[in-house]
Amino acid sequence: MTVEALAAIVITACEAEGVDHMLTGAFATGLYGIPRSTKDVDVVLSVAVGDPFSKVVSRLADVADFDGQVQFDTLTWGKRIVGVSKAPPPLKVELFELFDDPFVQSQFFRKVRMFSEQLQRSAWLPTPEDVVVQKLRWGRNKDLDDARDVLAVQGPETLDMAYIETWCRTHGTEDRLRTALEGIPPLE
Amino acid sequence: MLPAMNNPHEDPAALKALQDDIYREKILRARKQTPAERLADVFELTNVVFARMHAGAMWQLGIEDPDKGWQIVHQRLNRLQKLHDRGRFVHQKPGPNA
Repeated sequence: MTVEALAAIVITACEAEGVDHMLTGAFATGLYGIPRSTKDVDVVLSVAVGDPFSKVVSRLADVADFDGQVQFDTLTWGKRIVGVSKAPPPLKVELFELFDDPFVQSQFFRKVRMFSEQLQRSAWLPTPEDVVVQKLRWGRNKDLDDARDVLAVQGPETLDMAYIETWCRTHGTEDRLRTALEGIPPLE
Repeated sequence: MLPAMNNPHEDPAALKALQDDIYREKILRARKQTPAERLADVFELTNVVFARMHAGAMWQLGIEDPDKGWQIVHQRLNRLQKLHDRGRFVHQKPGPNA
């Protein structure tokens, strides 16, 4: 199974269950930054319909084996559940529950829709500004590289830097933003 | 005979310039693509990397059964994930007095 086939199945499952959703992770980063490979299909699920994990996981029962236990992100205490595709390659499906965090809510509210030929459908994705803020907040080396890549490829002059700076102040990640911007080499 | 080249690893400024050149080239290449093209690259890179991990595991361990090869890839990815996610995710949320 290809990664785009798996992503399309996950999106279809969300739509069939009426679960508002948004692709995130490497798909979002690659859309705005420098494309890289990934090991998983990451999707944020709205809780508006109630227990979105159960609904989407049951829809995916033929496609992926899910860890029965929900995990908590120690940074934000958001919940995720992880599955692995039954057919090779062993791609992961990571479902994240939309939770009551001002930035996470803002990111989801601002999501944008784009058509993908490979997915053969439209998909919801975050804005580039929200990818930068999210990645700086997570702060692992890979995340910081991703944030810098999005800033470099989009160009700060095309981004709503006031929005990014406001959230970075809230999250205490202004130094990370400054370092990311300083890491962009002159492009001329 | 080729002229002798300086080893950039012995010169921090030259190494930084080389790193910037490589990164600049990646940025400019990505800027020439549409968002849809970049997303398509994510898909293609992912599929190619998985195929190479599978081929590499089978070659390294002398495996002929493709399913066994995928099991090895799965084990290796799990090991990597544990490393990357170390301390990041827990199965229980601490109580208010934790």
